[in-house]
Parts: sequence; C-alpha cells; structure tokens
Amino acid sequence: MIKRYIGISLIGILLATSDVYATHLSCNNGKFRTEESNFVLVDHTIQVVDDYGKPLQGVKIYTVDQSEIGETDEEGKISLASQQTYLLKHPLFYTIQLNHVTTDRVAMKSKMMGTKDTLTVVYDNLVKDQALGAISVLYNNQLKTSANALYLNALTGRIAGLHTQEVSGFRSARTAAITAQDLAGSLPTDATKYSTNMNDNSEVAFNLRGQSPVILIDGVQRDIFSIDPESIESISVAKDALSSILLGQRSSRGVLQVITKKGQIGAPRISFTAQTGIQESLNLPKPLDAYQYAYLYNEALLNAGRQPVFSQGDFDAYKNGTDPLQFPNVNWYNQTLKNNNPISKYNLSVNGGIKNARYALSLSYLNQLGMFKSSDEFAYETNLQNQRYLINSSIDVDVTEDFTIGLQFFGKIQDGRQPGAGTQRILESLYQTPNNAYPIVNPDGSYGGSSVYTRNLFQQVTGSGYLLDNNRDLLTNLDFHYKLDQFLPGLYAKGKLNVSASSSSLIDRNRQQPVYDVRYNDQNELVYVRFGTIADQPNSFATTSTANFFYFQGALGYNTIVQEDHQVSAQVFLDQRTANYQFDLPATHSNYAVTGKYAYQDKYSAELALNYSGFNRFLPGKKYGLFYAVGLGWDILKENFMEGQEDWLNKLKLRATYGRTGNTNEGSLGYYSWRSSYGQGGNNGYEFGSEYARVHSLVEKGLANVQGTWEKGDKFNLGIDASFFQNTLNLSADVYHDTYFDLLQQRGSTIDLIGIPYPNENIGKNRYQGQELNLTYQNHIGNFNYFINANASRMKTEVLYMNEVYRQYSWNKRTGMPVGQTFGYLGDGLIQTQSEANHAPKLAGNEVHPGDVKLIDLNGDGIIDQHDQTAIGNRKPTIFLGTTLGFSVQGFDFSVLLQAVLNRTYQQTDYSFGSNGESQGFDYLLGRWTPETAATATYPRLTIGSDPTNTPFLNNSSFWTRSGEYLRIRNLDVGYTLPFSLTSKMKIAGIRFFANAQNLFTITPYKRLDPEINAGTAYPAQRIFNFGINIKL
Amino acid sequence: MKINHINWFLMAGIGILSFSCTSDLEIEPIELQTLEQVFDQQDSAGVNANRFLADTYRFLPNTGNRVGGDFLDAASDDAVSSNPTNTSVQQLATGSFTADSYQDNLWADYYQGIRQASIFINNIDRVPLKGNIENGTPLNRVWKAEAKFLRAIFYFELLKRHAGIPLLGDKVYQIEDNIELPRNTFEECVNFIVQQCDAIKDSLRTDPFNLTDYGRPTKSAALALKSRVLLYAASPLYNGGNIDAQNALAGYTNFDATRWQLAEEAAKELIDQNLFVLEPDFKNVFISRNKERIFSKQGGNNTSMENNNGPVGYSSGVNNGRTSPTQELVDAFGMANGLPITDANAGYNPEQPYEGRDPRFYATIFYNGAQWLSRAVQTYEGGGDKPGGTKQQTKTGYYLRKFMGNFENSTNYSNVNHDHILFRYAEILLNYAEARNERLANPDAIVYQAVEAIRERAGLSPFALAPNLSKANMRQIIHQERRKELAFEEHRFYDVRRWKLAETQFNLQLHGTLIFQTGTGILRQPNPILKMNFNQKMYLAPIPFSEVIKNPNMMQNPGW
Repeated sequence: MIKRYIGISLIGILLATSDVYATHLSCNNGKFRTEESNFVLVDHTIQVVDDYGKPLQGVKIYTVDQSEIGETDEEGKISLASQQTYLLKHPLFYTIQLNHVTTDRVAMKSKMMGTKDTLTVVYDNLVKDQALGAISVLYNNQLKTSANALYLNALTGRIAGLHTQEVSGFRSARTAAITAQDLAGSLPTDATKYSTNMNDNSEVAFNLRGQSPVILIDGVQRDIFSIDPESIESISVAKDALSSILLGQRSSRGVLQVITKKGQIGAPRISFTAQTGIQESLNLPKPLDAYQYAYLYNEALLNAGRQPVFSQGDFDAYKNGTDPLQFPNVNWYNQTLKNNNPISKYNLSVNGGIKNARYALSLSYLNQLGMFKSSDEFAYETNLQNQRYLINSSIDVDVTEDFTIGLQFFGKIQDGRQPGAGTQRILESLYQTPNNAYPIVNPDGSYGGSSVYTRNLFQQVTGSGYLLDNNRDLLTNLDFHYKLDQFLPGLYAKGKLNVSASSSSLIDRNRQQPVYDVRYNDQNELVYVRFGTIADQPNSFATTSTANFFYFQGALGYNTIVQEDHQVSAQVFLDQRTANYQFDLPATHSNYAVTGKYAYQDKYSAELALNYSGFNRFLPGKKYGLFYAVGLGWDILKENFMEGQEDWLNKLKLRATYGRTGNTNEGSLGYYSWRSSYGQGGNNGYEFGSEYARVHSLVEKGLANVQGTWEKGDKFNLGIDASFFQNTLNLSADVYHDTYFDLLQQRGSTIDLIGIPYPNENIGKNRYQGQELNLTYQNHIGNFNYFINANASRMKTEVLYMNEVYRQYSWNKRTGMPVGQTFGYLGDGLIQTQSEANHAPKLAGNEVHPGDVKLIDLNGDGIIDQHDQTAIGNRKPTIFLGTTLGFSVQGFDFSVLLQAVLNRTYQQTDYSFGSNGESQGFDYLLGRWTPETAATATYPRLTIGSDPTNTPFLNNSSFWTRSGEYLRIRNLDVGYTLPFSLTSKMKIAGIRFFANAQNLFTITPYKRLDPEINAGTAYPAQRIFNFGINIKL
Repeated sequence: MKINHINWFLMAGIGILSFSCTSDLEIEPIELQTLEQVFDQQDSAGVNANRFLADTYRFLPNTGNRVGGDFLDAASDDAVSSNPTNTSVQQLATGSFTADSYQDNLWADYYQGIRQASIFINNIDRVPLKGNIENGTPLNRVWKAEAKFLRAIFYFELLKRHAGIPLLGDKVYQIEDNIELPRNTFEECVNFIVQQCDAIKDSLRTDPFNLTDYGRPTKSAALALKSRVLLYAASPLYNGGNIDAQNALAGYTNFDATRWQLAEEAAKELIDQNLFVLEPDFKNVFISRNKERIFSKQGGNNTSMENNNGPVGYSSGVNNGRTSPTQELVDAFGMANGLPITDANAGYNPEQPYEGRDPRFYATIFYNGAQWLSRAVQTYEGGGDKPGGTKQQTKTGYYLRKFMGNFENSTNYSNVNHDHILFRYAEILLNYAEARNERLANPDAIVYQAVEAIRERAGLSPFALAPNLSKANMRQIIHQERRKELAFEEHRFYDVRRWKLAETQFNLQLHGTLIFQTGTGILRQPNPILKMNFNQKMYLAPIPFSEVIKNPNMMQNPGW
C-alpha cells in the first residue's frame, strides 16, 4: 500500500524536481537575453485583470531573470516594453509568461494552491507569518472540486491532522419526534448526546488530532456542514492550545473554522456555476441466487444437526425458474436499486462594493437523489432525495473612518424525502431478505410475502408512501469594529452579536400494504393468505429537533510599537454563548480572557492568553476555571548570521505553543448530574388492583456526581515553517504532545451492588502525540504552471489511566493500549480436522467442529473465555497521507488528490444468514469451509443461527479483522477555460467547463468491502462523476 | 458628532446585553425532583411515594417467556426452545456459559430493586400518610412492609441463583461510599429473609382477594415466601449436600433435619390460615383470579401467552410456537387412573399415546390432534403446525398449552388474565408434603392428604395413592407431582437442582417425536433433539464475572 502511494507521489516529485532544474536553466538562459534587451523603451500599457475581468492590483512583474520591475496599480495597469518577455506573478494566481506584450488586457487565473498573507484564527485576524500555532488553511479552489453535499468531503486528504471517514453515502434524516428521552439525561447515551442529533452531518466522521473539533462559522460556534463550497472563502483548522484558548471550556478540541466570502471593492463580480453528476454505489453486497442460497442453507442445517428443508426438486425449481410463484428467485438489489443517480448543484454569487460599503451574496441549490427505484403506479415520488437551498449574504459598511459594521445573514432550508418505510429499514430489509423469500407480486397483483416476511421489500421501496423532513437553519451576525485612535492610538473595540436558530420537522405519509402468501390447496387452486396489517394512512407532523443560540462577544484591544523594535498588543475579551436545545434549560458558556503579544523586530515573539471560562451546568461555585496558553516564535532567517541565504531560503521560523485547555464534554457530563434527582421513569409503572390501575413510576435518576468538572488538556506543539527557492517550496511541520486528563468516564469498578448506574466521573487520562508534515511545491515553465502538495500525519494514542478493573493477565489490560482499541479473541484460521476439533479449547463450553474459527486459548486453561481476550486489530500509530498534484496550461487545468490511510483495521461484521438464521446469504459464503474445500476456505463452516464461535457479533476474533488501509484517488478535477480574448468579446469575464470525480478508484487489501463504509446495512459509499460550467461576469 | 452618538448607543447596548443577561428560567431544572419532593411531608395521600413504591414492584420476578423469549423451563428437561438459534435457554441447558455470560443473570436488576426498596423504607416515615387498613394498621406501616416484602423476594431470587449474596441492610450507598462488600453466608441470607417475613407478616394487608389491592402482597404472601425459602434451605443441595462442603457461602456446612421441620411449619402456618382452596378446574387457575392464588405480579389481560407459544399454523400470523415440550415431560404425565404410563395396569396404548391421560396433560401440552381454535393441531411432518422449511416451529411435535385461555372452539383469541403467578396454594401443599415426608421416618396420613388433594383436583380417578409407601417412594411421587403440577412455573429448573439430582436428570438426551401421516395411518418415531449438559459447578449460578473482578471481597462460586 505505502509503496504504491509513495510510487505515485514520487512520480510527481520527480516531475517537480526536474522542473527546478529546468527553471534554473531557463533562468540562466534568460540572463543573457535580458542583459541584451535592457534598453528597450517602455511603450505599452497593459491592464491585468482577475478571473472576473476586474482590475488586479499588486501583480508583480518580473523579467525572466527574476528581477522585479514593478507592480500593477489600483486599476491593474502597468506600462511595459512591448518586445520584452515578462513574468506576471501573484500569490493567488498562476504565473503568466508574456512573450510579447501585444494585448491590452491580460487575465490571470486563480491558483488551486493560492495562499493569503492573513489568517483568521478563531476571532482574530493575524498576519500569517506571525501565527505561532499549528494552523492549516484551505482556500476556495481546493474545496470546489468535489460534488458532495457537505464541505467535509472536500477536506479529506487535504489537511494534515484532520482525519475523516465516510460513514454513509447519503444524509440520514432524523425521523423521531422530540420526546422526554431527548432530554440530556443523567447518564450519557447516544440518544442524549444532543449535539450529535442537532447537526446536519450524518455522512462523514472526522477528528482533528483525535478530538472532535469545535466548528466555527464566521466566528460563531455552530455545527453546520452543508454550506456550499462556492460561497466559502476558506476553511482552516487550528490544532494547538494557543489558537483555541479563547474557547475556554471548549478549547481542548481544536477548531475547524469556515469563513464565508466577504465583499470586495469593485464592480459586481458575478459567478454562476451549474453542475450535474451521477452517483453510483460502491461495493454493494452480492446476494446468492435462490439455488445457491437453498443449497447452502441445507448445508448449514446439516452442520447444525438439523434436517435439510430443501429437496432436489426445490433446487431444480430454483435453477429453472419455471415456477417463480412458489420458487421465487428475486435479486432484491437489482429490483429495488438504480445504478446512476443524479446530483446537481447551482450557485449564483455576487460580490462587490464601493470603498465604504461592500457586499457579498450567494445563493445555492442542491438536488441529490438516492438509489431507490420509484414506481410509475403512483403520481408522487418516493425516492430518497435531498434538496437544499442556501443563502449567504454579508454587508460591510464603514460608517465612519473609524467604525465598521458587518452584517451577515445565512439561511438554509433543506428538504429531505425518503420512502415511507424509511431508508434505514429498507437497507436492513435488503440485507436480510433472501432471493427465495417471496415473489415481488402475486398473479393477482398483490404484493408477495409470507408469515416471516410480512412486509414486501418492493412495496417498501416503491409503494410505501414517503416521509418528508424539513430543516431550517438561520444565522445572523452583527459585527462591529471601532478604532479608538482618538483616545489612544492603537486602541480599538470590537464586538459581535449572533442569533441563530435551527429546527427540523417530519411529515409522515407512509403507506402500509399487506402481503399475501400464495399456496396451492388440495384442489390445486391458488389460495391467498394475508399477512401484515391493513393500516390507516397516517398524515402526521412532528417536530424532530429545535434549537436556538445566542452569542455575543466584546473585546477591547491595544496595539502599539515602542521604539520601533518592540511590537506590543493586548486585548481583554469576553463572550457568552447560550444554547437552547429542545427543551433543556439553556446551556451557557462564558469566557473572560486577556491576551498579550510581544514581538521584537519580528524576530522573537511571544504570546500569552488567560481565559477564565465557565459553564452554567456545573455545581454552583465550581462553574469557572482558568485556562491559559503561551506561545513563542523565533524567525531564524531574520538573524544576522543568516544573511545572504535569500537565493535558496526565504523563510525559516520556529514556533512553539503550550496550553492548559478545557472541555465541558456536555454529552458525557449529563444534565445537572452534580445533584441527585428523582423523576418520571418513562412509561414504566405498576398496575394495582383487579382493574390494573396504572401508577406511573417515580425513580431515582442517578447518583449525584458532586465532583463533576470539565475535562482538561495539556497541549504542546512545536512547529517549523520554511520556504525555499523563491518561495516555490514551502514546508510546514509540527510535532505535538497532547495529554487529556480528568476525562469523563464511568469508573471501572462499577459494582452492581449499589443498585444504580454510576455517572461519568473525571477519571480518564489519554495521550495523543504525533507528527505532521505539509509540503507544497509550485512552479511554472513558461505558462505551464504545476504544483504538488503532500501532507502526512501520524498519530499515536495511549490510554494512560482509566480506572481499569483487575485483569488477571497482562494481555487483558486496556490501560497502555491505544485509545479505543478493539478487544477480542485471537483467531488462527479454521479448524481443519475432527481430531483438531476434539483437542481445541471450547468457547464457554460450546462444541467446536472442523470448519470453526480456531480461537487461541491464551491462558491455556482449555476454555475460551474473557481471560483469553486481547487487543486485536491495529495497534500501530495511524498514518494519513494526502497528495494533490496538478497543473494549469493554456486554459486547461488538472488536479488529482490521492489519499491513503495506513495502519488501520476494522472488524468485518457480516455473518452467515443473519442473527436469526433465516436471513439472506451473500457471495462470500461460497468460500465457506467444507471438508472438500478445507484448504482454500475463506469463511467458517455454515450454521443456522449464530454459532458462538463463528459469529463476530457474539465473539469478536481476529479472524474477522480486515486491513482498513487504502489508497484512493479521492478526487480528480479537469477544466478548460475559454480564452479570455474570446470571452471578453462576449462581455463575459470567463467561462470554464469542468468535470470532476470523487472516489474514482480505490486500492485496498480486502476488496469485497469498502474500507470506510463496510457495514452491510449502511448506505453505500458513492462514486460521483460530475460535469459543470462556471460563468463569471 | 452625530455618528459618535450612534457609536456610544451601540456600545452601551452591547454592555447592557452582556451584564443584564439574567434569565427568567429556573437555575436548576424543576423536573429533576428532590428526595423531599418524592417523600413529601405535606402530602397525606403520599402520591409520589406511592409512585416510587410502584416502580419497586416492577422488579418483581416475571414468569413466562422471560429468558431471551423463552420459559426458564425450556432450560430444564421439560422443554426446549423452538427458536433455531443458540438461545439463552439452550445455553443454560447445555452448560454453554461462563461466569461472564450467564444467561439468567439478574444480579444488577435485583440490586436495583433492593436499592429502591431501601430508599422507600428509609424515607416513607416522613410522609404523613393518613389511613389504616381494615385491621387498623396505619398505611405507612403497610407500605413499608410491602417494600420489605419486595426486598426479601429480590434477595430470595438472588439466593436461589447464587446462594449467599451480600446483604445490604437498610443502607443506601452513594458515590463516595465503599461498596466492596463481601458475600454473606447462605445461612445469614436465609435467616434474613425469614426474619423479614416474620417481621412484616402482621403489618401487611390480610385479604388476598381484595380487588382494589390485588397485586399487593398480603400476610399470606409473606408466609408463602417463607415456606419456599425454608424448603430450599432444607433441601439436599444446601442441607448436607453442599457442593463445596466447608464453604458457608454455597450452603450450610452441616446437615440438620430440623430445617425440614421449619419448612413444614412454615407451610403449615399458611395452610392454617384457611384462606385458600384448590381451584376445581386446573386450567382455570392460570386465567382467572381465584382462591388458589396467593400472590402474583400483575400481568394484565392480553393474549401474550397465546401469541408467543401458540401452534404456528393458525393463519393470523401471531402464533410463534416458541416452546417445544419434550417427550420426557409428556411421558411424565400418567394416566387418568393415576398410574404412570410405565405401569402394566395403566392401560397406556403406545399406538394411541394421547388417550386416557392425566387431565393435566391436556391442560399443559398441545399434541398432534389436540383441539385448538376449532381445528386439530397438526404436528405431523408437513402438517399445518409443523410445515417444515425455515420457519420457527416445534422441534418436538408438541406445543405448550398451559396458561392459555380456553380457545379450543373459538376462531381467534380474546384477552384473558395473564398475571405472573408467583405463589399458589398447590405449591404450598406440595411444599408441606415434601417437608413433612422428609422429616418423618415414613409418610403419615397428613402427607398422603396433601398429595392426594393435588391429585384429586387434577381429576385423577382414583386419586388415592397406594398405601404404606416408603419415604423414598413418597419422595418420588412428590417430585413427580411437582413436575406435572408446576410445569412451566419456573420450579423444575431449581427443584432438580435443590434435590441435587441435576447431574443425572439434567444430563439427559432430550427427545421429541417425529410423526408421519401416511396413507395407512400414523407412524411415530423418537427424535433426539438436545443433549443436556450439567456439571457440578452449575448447581449454583456464577457470580457475574464483572462483580468479581471489580470487588476484591467478592468470592466466586465453586468451580467458576
């Protein structure tokens, strides 16, 4: 795996290095030429414009020997000599080589890997070179190349330290109405971790250095993931303690920050993008046909010591297909799923302004369809669908010289539809229904079924009505910034007010239809036996979630330079965020912080931040804690002894941060868990008397955890930034060592004698450490611009403490293992002979047979039990790699993203015929153990029902561990921009045609399953081919 | 200047917002009540306290399809589960479990019940409850006694599984308390339960048939619990047959015949109340409120038994045929004339095996040809109720009939009473007979009387036993009567254990019958279905593995 990855990456690097050589050559050649032509007259004025045809200021003009001539003015103009060769350079645009200055206007094309000089880190704008933390930024062009519904898909493989895993190929809507169960209870369960229910991402799991980052949308903490990349200016992650310390009790988790586009001065820049693509499912399970199924089913029955149920006649009937009524053979996947499902996106954005007022507006529409077939029988659609309307607008007004107000509005309406039976239920039925279960329809047109299958799968997909869900998100920001130079030069005040709301609802119009089992009676007539109920058509409405958020922030800051060399700035800061989820009491985080910065000659810099941060659900008097961070920077290149290195080294900076951070971890903390409480016991109760008069329960809600407090982190980060060869090669590397402690966990010694579950207490201690590297090389040969970016991250985790119970054997211990390590039995292939089976240790007294998984008896007591469980699967540090390669020439542009994960495993979970022994079988069962195929078997012998030794969900063993390593061509993007000379005649700034593909190709050792989405009942991973056009005015 | 005003206005606005954000909502959620609100010192009706007590009732043991969807009795030699997978009861029957995977582990549940009962006992006296029951006992004493009864029965449920368990007294442990408690000895546990029963019996309600208080324990319930716990304590497994002879946690370390006497006296005290009689119709015992029931967990009127266990061929699709009684149980039922089928004079005809049997057989088991829902049950191969194929269906040729309404000639089910009967009079009579028989050198007339009362009600004719039976013969008969009378009431699984007969009885190969309907008649063929496995350590259920590793003072049971 790694070899292939390196191989493909190396080709790119080779290309790159050979070009370094080439450019050096061309430089040398150029030298002679420029010397000859130094005296040519400046006779021609050109205007340089951006891809919107708007004047571009600050484009640096070089001669071919790299000596700078000047830069374009406010109108993008500069005068040049017409017979010369020039290079036009700008950090955000591809370099242009002008051989003969003949045209009046030159259009530059924006770079894939463009970077800006400033950064937004949490609430502050920084000069990039002054940032001390570990921060990575992606700009708009890198986000736009994937057609997925969420911007998260575009981040995969592009940022070191951010790890993603697809978990579903389509969004899944929340369909459960709000109930008392949603109240954050005293013990955390998935149902009470409200934040997971409230966000719009059900497709991508992600973490930043192992933590779930706080999402900031334009400086506001909101978990919104369905923002159109077209309207995003940049997405950055901040991974260190200093960068996130203003988040106080949420600062441990790192930050993922989305900055939407803001208005720019100038005539309106209008961009319209229309794109449409097709999605196809990857790695769908391959069901056995009815004959194979029946044959294997008989075999499994025999193995389980039971009588076979299918006769030779049945086999023949399945094979011949002569009696599809009694002997159906329905490939449900083919019957209910479509191959190519459209996805389309439209975006219109307008951006512009005058000097004192700037605006940006973006409208987007997404329409994504799922893979289910619909029926012509009904006038309405039932297929899974996701329709999304987004609006994002911002206005910035300079009210006076000193006072700027920004107003931003973001709105989202998302309408989802799914078949009335529910997507998840259909996927489960698909996974469980054998080909021979029942015919799709009976001769009279009724749906087939049986006493076991009382709902018809085809009906569930095409005829079960529909569920509509509607989600609304609203976000309004008011920002102001006031320069108080009139009182004290360098003094400023700024603030932010935000109100946002989110809610979702569900309309249920599902339709249930009974099924009919058709049999011949003694008179050889067809008899229809009904199963399933004829139910009323519901038309119900339910609110499925609601939340609103209030946020305000105020800061007073001061910047000054003392005696030219000493740059000092300080800020006092306060903010408060109140979240009202469902019907919980408000959850309020407050921060009171001071920060200070000092820099000497830009050479040495230091930062300090203190944050007194609190959360209102802790015990009164114990709500606030102090969090702090420091940072140090050393710009080595500015030292005297480094002088004269400019021709190969352009930047060399060391930076380090350390901080004590916090994490409230609301989900694990529980709801006011510091006090003991009593309340309703759900629907429980006892019915007294002859008439069963129900008395509803009142129960103790959990033990009070008076000591409960926030989790803490000690985070250290050391980084280096360097640039070489006229900034063509940029390197950024970080090492980190983060220790999280006081983690909210249930104690190990939860002795049941106490009669009530223990709450989570501040117990655990985990360490995350790792290294990250980001390398970018960008250069050009003439007008051939090319780039390569490679990032790598390696993360090692360890459980330092977890109040583990007594373990008899060292291999049982969880402490010292990686965080979240899988435990199970060791498997050593399959038992081959009866004598081997006779001598094999038994699993909890269950008989073992040839063909069973051979479990290893670690303690040698002849029995397989909990003492033999040990760490299975990967224990090495995980490695994530991403490489982006691309070029742009003559209107063509191309980029490809390779992404790889190393040292990763997962547990395969599918087993023969499902848990009840009656479910579907899939092609992998053909590799089962039989005496004849003993040597080549890939799967244990078949049994009906769940055999304890062979069933992963009963007893997980390393037999089921699969390599989760993969290399994916995650994204590929090609485009062609019509020549500016042509489009400008049409009064259009630019037209670009493009095509891209997501999840194009995958290499993974275990090919049957997708390495990311490998549960048979999950919505499969999608490959998307996408085509589009972008028009800029 | 004007602009400046706006600025100040804005700044002031922000300032006010930041410092005046006082909420109108409560500081702590009002729906999370305090202990003072539950045991309200103002409420003379004790509404909240009653609700708290009601939740404690919830932990009363269930009966029926309880263990992974099966009867516990399907883990004995009486039945197997029809479910084709490796069910919980099958694992119990074949000994396929470890200390970490005991399939009837209710340890945590009962300790939860015990905690709730203790909270109630500690706090109910704060509530100024008004009212007395008929005999003048104040209501808060009654309620407290009910909680103590519940707690005692929870301890008994733990005792019969694990032998000695930690007794917590009235203490309610909090998060900072040390809960690494050791187990109490078997003897201490028995004494505690008995002492609790004695202490509360005169505080409980008195009328077991009072309709408004149905489902609440009465004095008789306390006496019945005492009878059962003392019978268990006197039984060989604990009294003289301790599997780990000197281990006081697993049983008594000596044999003491007076324990049988205590058991006898306890049963006698209940019999002497003269409140209960045997319900004339055996089938009726389970589907109506009647004078045989001593204490039940409330179950309700429903068709759950029918749906779970009814023969699978009835088309409404709600009969799951979950329980398959074994041929061994079928053969245990004798003939209507009171003789076992093996007796030469019994008149048993292997060609017509279901004719002329003990009426309790017809009330307990569906066999091929039994009438149900207006047709004959078909458990022959390919018959409606044993169609073959992949569907769940009987493994033995029999289905469970007991506990169901009388739907022989109906077309569908209607709701009948399905309370979980925990104690009934027939058991007390059998307890009495067993204890007295064991105490005496030879059974006397009183032993005969008790056993014959059961046989008479069963409809045996003649019901009288042969005279001058030896103690051993009488023991045999009592064991058989318990099996037939109390089948599927969660007795067999523990009876065979406490008699210390499980090593033979629960190591049997169990059978069903394959029935072939041919042109010439019916062929029957024995069909081995499950080999039970039992070894000595299984007399006592393991203490949950997690409890042992978490608690250094927790001793595991012998062999686990």
